[in-house]
Amino acid sequence: MDILLSSIVAGLLFGMVLAIVALGLTIIFGVMDIINFAHGEFLMIGMYTGLLTAQATGLEPLLTLPVAAAVGFLLGVLCYYGFIKFLLRGPMIAQLLGTFGLMLFLRNLALLIFGSEDRALHHGVLVGKSFDVGMGVIIPATKLAAAGLSILAFWGVWVLMNRTKVGKALTATALNAQGARYMGISTERMNALAWGIGGGTVTVAGALIVNFWSVNPFMGLLFTMIAFAIVALGGFGSVPGAFFAGLVVGMITEIPGFWDFMTYTFNLDWMANVPMTSLKYMWVYLAYFVIMVLRPRGLFGWKQ
Amino acid sequence: METIKNALDFSDFPRLDLIIAVLVLAFLLLFPLFPFSAFAMATMIQFLMFSIYGMGWNTIGGYGGQVDLGKAQYVGIGAYTTAVMLIRWDIPFWVSMPIGVCFAVGWSFIIGYPLFRLKGHYFAIATIATSLVLKDLFEVWDFVGAARGLEISPIKYPPPDFLRLIFKEDIYYYYVLLGFFIIGIAYINWFRKSRLGFHLRCIKDNEEVAQSLGVNVRWAKVKTYAIATAFVSVVGSFHACYIKAIEPEDTMSLSISILIALMAMLGGAGSLWGPIIGAGILIPLKSYLKEWLGASAGLVGIDLIIYALIIMLVSAFEPRGIWGIIEKARRRKRK
Repeated sequence: MDILLSSIVAGLLFGMVLAIVALGLTIIFGVMDIINFAHGEFLMIGMYTGLLTAQATGLEPLLTLPVAAAVGFLLGVLCYYGFIKFLLRGPMIAQLLGTFGLMLFLRNLALLIFGSEDRALHHGVLVGKSFDVGMGVIIPATKLAAAGLSILAFWGVWVLMNRTKVGKALTATALNAQGARYMGISTERMNALAWGIGGGTVTVAGALIVNFWSVNPFMGLLFTMIAFAIVALGGFGSVPGAFFAGLVVGMITEIPGFWDFMTYTFNLDWMANVPMTSLKYMWVYLAYFVIMVLRPRGLFGWKQ
Repeated sequence: METIKNALDFSDFPRLDLIIAVLVLAFLLLFPLFPFSAFAMATMIQFLMFSIYGMGWNTIGGYGGQVDLGKAQYVGIGAYTTAVMLIRWDIPFWVSMPIGVCFAVGWSFIIGYPLFRLKGHYFAIATIATSLVLKDLFEVWDFVGAARGLEISPIKYPPPDFLRLIFKEDIYYYYVLLGFFIIGIAYINWFRKSRLGFHLRCIKDNEEVAQSLGVNVRWAKVKTYAIATAFVSVVGSFHACYIKAIEPEDTMSLSISILIALMAMLGGAGSLWGPIIGAGILIPLKSYLKEWLGASAGLVGIDLIIYALIIMLVSAFEPRGIWGIIEKARRRKRK
């Protein structure tokens, strides 16, 4: 029972962080129908930003979030004006491979600058502390804080998208770019804004994740794939969809925990021999495939 | 007979193209007679391998317009079938290679049917997902050596062994691969003029129209996907015998899938020569950049940064590839 409960709690907490990883991807896709392969690399850059700022200034790691958000926003806007703008004119395959090139570029730039070794945070008020909730469930304080802050960030983006004029212009661009242009909305600037928000949210997620996960230049792809799965499940372009799908995918990454629970409960030997921990992320990819085939719109999607 | 004549009929190309093609082929045939370094030889073999991968990808991705980013899983199936059969039951390459193709094509039918419900971006990412699922499974499957991979020990088979394709010198591998390469070109030349080839180009231009003209769209796509798979799987089997040590990380990784698609796109997807041109440019560039900048200058990653910049520039400013530039220049001249 302990295993089951702690798996559920861990899955939910991680899912909240994953949701904000996927948020940027879904906004970018919704506004301009482009799949960003470099999304995980933005996350990696956010992690390095959080880590290096915290180490250089000695600040509490959770206070580096504004720095990470600013870096991500600027990077996103820069990528849009410097590169993506030109890609949008080309065919789909050029867009896919172009953002793949961006991913390769950012990854190897990080490799050149930071080297290939794993780096982790070792200081901070929350590092190493945890709450014992009872029933055998132990919640690390860093994960709890990360989940809480990611909900806060999510709420912020939701308010921005639904309650402000800029956000409404952004939504209009996503629904019908041609129509938005007739209404006097500069879609060019809205595209750049979408990339800015996308970059900003994912670097914030990176600065949250670095509190409990070590960083190296190669980790981006895993999160890109997880984000794709979340976006597919929630529906391409849907903001609330990304949140709920994030929770679901967070649970999917905890499948090894549920497997252990079944193994102990029913005492089955063959189950214990399956190397479930190594297959942790396979379930995410499989979920993506199954969701796409059965319901291409996703749970909350409005784009087909 | 008719088919073979069709496959060898290149008369619809301009004469200049054919002269260049013959010159390149002569160079490829005579290359091992010149003094060459082992590194140059390895690069040439890589070039041939990737141009065959690219030709296979070109059928579905170029002529059919379905962006497939999961070809690496079939490299893996081919390579693992050959390696497992050779190590466990001593079955020679020329038997295990067709069996590997059967496995790969069977798997491509199984996943092809659900995959082709999807279009565009969704299809592309779903192919990546299937490829990664298979890779993860191979990484825990003990029968095929899990994450450690398999190693074909050359000591057990005294080289040169033509049946098992175990040689000491790269030159033998080079000529075997060149044979596959020439057969591949002839096949694609036949394919592009076949009924299926025309169906595919019709699907690429407009799927609804193709359907209304009575083309079975899904079946045409699945069939072509299987053809592309067969190409990739043959070279995968070859890869196992050539490299002699395979593991999931370097036979089935995403970067191989992307490299295959990239080469075809850089050269010009949807043309016979495109993938060959693409591989001819990217492979030497990649390995020499790595040799000069990565290994000797000690700058880790700078070779791939330059490589990535080239990818970004091509996809932003010339998405139809080098063949697209050539065709544009020709059209201008005709006017």
